[in-house]
Amino acid sequence: MTLFAALFSHYRRHPLQLVALALMILVATTLWSGVRQLTEQARASLSQSEQVIAGRQQVLRVDGAGLTVSDFVTLRRAGLCVMPWLEVPRQGQVGVVIGVDPLAAACFDGGGGAFDNAALRLESEPFVDIGEAVRLARESPAAERRPSLVLIASGNVTAGALPGGYRLETFARGPETGELGESFLLNLDALGVLVLLITALLLRAVYRLGIVQRRESFALLHRFGVPPARIDRWLIMELLTLSALCILPGLWLGRELAGLLGQGFGRSLQGLFDAPLYSISGQWLAPALSMMAVVLVACLADFLVPGGRRVVGSRGHGKLAGILLGLGLLLALLGPSLIWVFAAVAIVFAGAGLLIPILIYRLAERAACARADPLVRWRYRELAVMARQLALPVVALQFTFAMVLAIQALVTTFEDTFDRWLAQRLEAELYVPVPEGRSGEAAARWLAAQPELKTSGAWHRVIRGRAGVSVPGGTQTPVDVFALSPVSSLLTGWDLLASGDDPWASLAGEQAVLVNEQLARRLGLSVGDRLELQLAGQRSNLPVAGIYADYGRPAGEILINGRLLPEQFQPEFESFSISPGALSRARLRSGLESVWQVSDITLRDNEEIRDLATGVFDQTFLLTRSMTVLTLALAGLALLIMGWVFFTGRAWYFRLLATWGLSRREVAAQLTRLSVGLTGRVALLALPLGIWLTWVLVHRINPLAFGWSLPMAVYPGFWVELVGLSLLIGLGIALLMGRQLRAGVAMPASATSMTGGER
Amino acid sequence: MRGLALIALLTVGLSGCSEAPEPSGFAGLGERVDKTGEQSYLQPGPATGLAFPADLGPHPRYRIEWWYLTANLRTESGQPLGLQWTQFRQALEPREPDAVPDPSAWPLQAAWMAHAAVSWQGEHEFAERLARGDVGNAGATARPFSVWLDHWQLDAVADRRWRLQVTAGNFAYDLTLRVSDQPVAHGINGFSAKSDSGQGSMYFSLVDIAISGTVTFQGQALEVEGRGWFDREWSSQFLKTGQKGWDWFALHLDSGDRLMAFRLREEGKPFVSGTWIPASGQIQPLTSGQLALSVVEQRDGVPVRWQIEVPEQGVSLELSAPAGDYMNRGLYPYWESPVDVSGSHTGEGYMELTGYR
Repeated sequence: MTLFAALFSHYRRHPLQLVALALMILVATTLWSGVRQLTEQARASLSQSEQVIAGRQQVLRVDGAGLTVSDFVTLRRAGLCVMPWLEVPRQGQVGVVIGVDPLAAACFDGGGGAFDNAALRLESEPFVDIGEAVRLARESPAAERRPSLVLIASGNVTAGALPGGYRLETFARGPETGELGESFLLNLDALGVLVLLITALLLRAVYRLGIVQRRESFALLHRFGVPPARIDRWLIMELLTLSALCILPGLWLGRELAGLLGQGFGRSLQGLFDAPLYSISGQWLAPALSMMAVVLVACLADFLVPGGRRVVGSRGHGKLAGILLGLGLLLALLGPSLIWVFAAVAIVFAGAGLLIPILIYRLAERAACARADPLVRWRYRELAVMARQLALPVVALQFTFAMVLAIQALVTTFEDTFDRWLAQRLEAELYVPVPEGRSGEAAARWLAAQPELKTSGAWHRVIRGRAGVSVPGGTQTPVDVFALSPVSSLLTGWDLLASGDDPWASLAGEQAVLVNEQLARRLGLSVGDRLELQLAGQRSNLPVAGIYADYGRPAGEILINGRLLPEQFQPEFESFSISPGALSRARLRSGLESVWQVSDITLRDNEEIRDLATGVFDQTFLLTRSMTVLTLALAGLALLIMGWVFFTGRAWYFRLLATWGLSRREVAAQLTRLSVGLTGRVALLALPLGIWLTWVLVHRINPLAFGWSLPMAVYPGFWVELVGLSLLIGLGIALLMGRQLRAGVAMPASATSMTGGER
Repeated sequence: MRGLALIALLTVGLSGCSEAPEPSGFAGLGERVDKTGEQSYLQPGPATGLAFPADLGPHPRYRIEWWYLTANLRTESGQPLGLQWTQFRQALEPREPDAVPDPSAWPLQAAWMAHAAVSWQGEHEFAERLARGDVGNAGATARPFSVWLDHWQLDAVADRRWRLQVTAGNFAYDLTLRVSDQPVAHGINGFSAKSDSGQGSMYFSLVDIAISGTVTFQGQALEVEGRGWFDREWSSQFLKTGQKGWDWFALHLDSGDRLMAFRLREEGKPFVSGTWIPASGQIQPLTSGQLALSVVEQRDGVPVRWQIEVPEQGVSLELSAPAGDYMNRGLYPYWESPVDVSGSHTGEGYMELTGYR
């Protein structure tokens, strides 16, 4: 028999262990590389679009009206180098296409810029000819917002050269979302790294279990004259081979996973940051090598770290943990930007990671000293040893609990808020877009004349377009304007983040505007502040009566009374929200068809839109949810296996309990209390960390990363679930140990394990 | 004739495909037209005939056309100054003249390209602009006569008086053009053959345009006067596979006679054609037996001295480009330079050479 065959014979006896190792490497590679690919791809997309527009300026109309082809002609005939840019969502697919005119772009060459021909070749994603983009936009459902034309100016266009009625502004694809997009990806990266960490612990647990079981074979081989160094070399070879065999299919599966999740992810990216997701180009070597390194470090850390340094619980660690926690908490509170807050989270986690095993250890030691009952003292001492020996998986489980708790709170809060928000926005039963070229005014007159609507229904007209707003002394910011009339009961139920006295009455009286949270944050607006408004060349100055939440879009937005719109305002889109009451839908349809002289109008049931939106939401958060659930499962499994390995190593002591006169049932009960005590404490100690993390996510990271905030909510029911899960893991460990003890216990594997040196 | 290669290559660029232009530049044009629905484009022929002023305007049923002005001017101090303005239209799909598409759809039925150049004291400045048709910033109308691309424009400002305005990076011009003569139809009734196998284009010229105005060259404003030559040409297919480029000449002789001559280079014998426009009397189309063009000297691979002979008219001319580099380095480079004429007659003119780089 060769040395390899002798070593490998272990897996012939324990094939499940081999399968478990292989599966873990495979699954971890799949998960991590899948997420990594998505974030890499998103980063490339962000950077590609940023690169093309870097340093560019756009021309806007001073009156805030949307740009049309005639504006393009006016500017070009004035000798200015401008090019059109039209972003259109891909129908039924992820991302956008960007319509450009390569002929108009030709003058950008040598004008100081990024618009070289290579960047705008029509065959390169995501650029298409603008005519094609217009065609796609016109084919999209009427309910969708019509894309706005942007005119990008070359570097040599100066404000002084512009004809009257136009101004220059820095061109950004979303409202300053570059950093936000990066933050979003950083969140995902952090999640990916956490998965990797947990997996590494899990791998380590299973591998160490195997090593414990193989110690006798190694000793035997050593006695036959095989030097330990050679055995170590063979073990490394074995691990490398196994990794290679599992990592490659794992990478392939990761690519498939990225493709599967890409659509929801792309929608998130698009919806949150207006950043499209372009096509994927996969990488193999770097992820394969990274994963290989993780496997080797996780499994062979014992070779790399001297044993003495692995003991936790020293006084120095306690002090360090205290300093880290204090520093991290302070930084999280005062950190000026997202990167500081992330650093604060990392520091607090590091502090908590150091502190928790020490805390459990000290508390157990103290409890042991305080108790007279020798069995209780034994149990506490044993718990103290476990807290030190199982420090890594204990910390991993704690982190995972905290993270799962925080993310669950965030997602659930978001879901609740989103549902409420959606219900308010879709309060009306029906949604009717005004067909192109037809009069919204005529339809409004017809609706106002319907007695059934007056008595039992409600409706309002929505005109969407562009406007410019500024605070006194500030520069003008382009915003989406929603002009509403009349201000119906369908609107007044909206939750407002902040409001003055009866904001809807002020809106109805044309005395105020409402702004969305994103705009309020960007311009530092609060209720009562006055806003300079420019609508199709007409200026007005109105106070802010309320701030409403708008979770879906990054753009600034204002609500005004429709009567404030000047005649020359060019609407981009018009629609009606109608709850018909006693007016039948058929009558409504025929009435509007006759007003508009069209044969088939779109009468969309808002319930369908709500289902669609909810579906999109679910898909958006599928990634986060599945990652957290998988991480939790992996962490639980890691603790279970590590605990089992640890208990196996100490089985000899547990056996002594029986020698001291405890029945088998009593021994099992002691083990159960021990293991459940450990996992339960871990879960309880994770709660404050989880709640703190929720606060950081809601009040610090979310506003910095996404531009809007959520109400902070905690869900004690979920805490109970988590604690229950941790108790189940404890029970699982006890159950496995019970079986182990019943099966008979081998002698301690080494001389040190007989001396109780761990204590 | 001129500008054909540019248009052909522009088509390739616009098609958005990865197909690289053929090395010779334009030789695939005939084939490409065959493949992309030749039937829908009108093909010119000897029976097509010319109509004025309509033919000054665009021909959207044809695939390609251009408005082309070259001018030999002099500054107040008598120094020669050469000037070019050209606007090309390339249809991507044919349409009826009155079926104008909706500009808000950003139609791409035609692409426009404009070139402008000034040559003075051995220096040559060139600029190029591109635009899509039917949007509004580029186009042409016959009545009133106007051809424009962005802020470059040639407009009729009065009866037989036009104004040409161009502002580019390093030069600008604002010129008044007085058209005194009648259009000269080349070939047979304006159908100018471009090969022995029948390809050709509709082609007429205004050969005697008095020009005055201001040229700003590298920051220096120059009052200029002189004469120009204006070409109108359109077709859908007239190059055949294997043709590699052409050499074109438009000459004002001091005797009052004018000569247009061109040579299409292909394997074997080049296709040669021209028009003799006497100071008085009958205009005479010239075929290969009546006209000979030969290169006398090359400069960096470009033939800059030529011998042109029209034996029936007793004409034996030597043409030479002034010192300097007159390559128009736009998307598709070509040579466009003034020439001095000596030999049996003296005079001046313009020379366009394509396919040499």
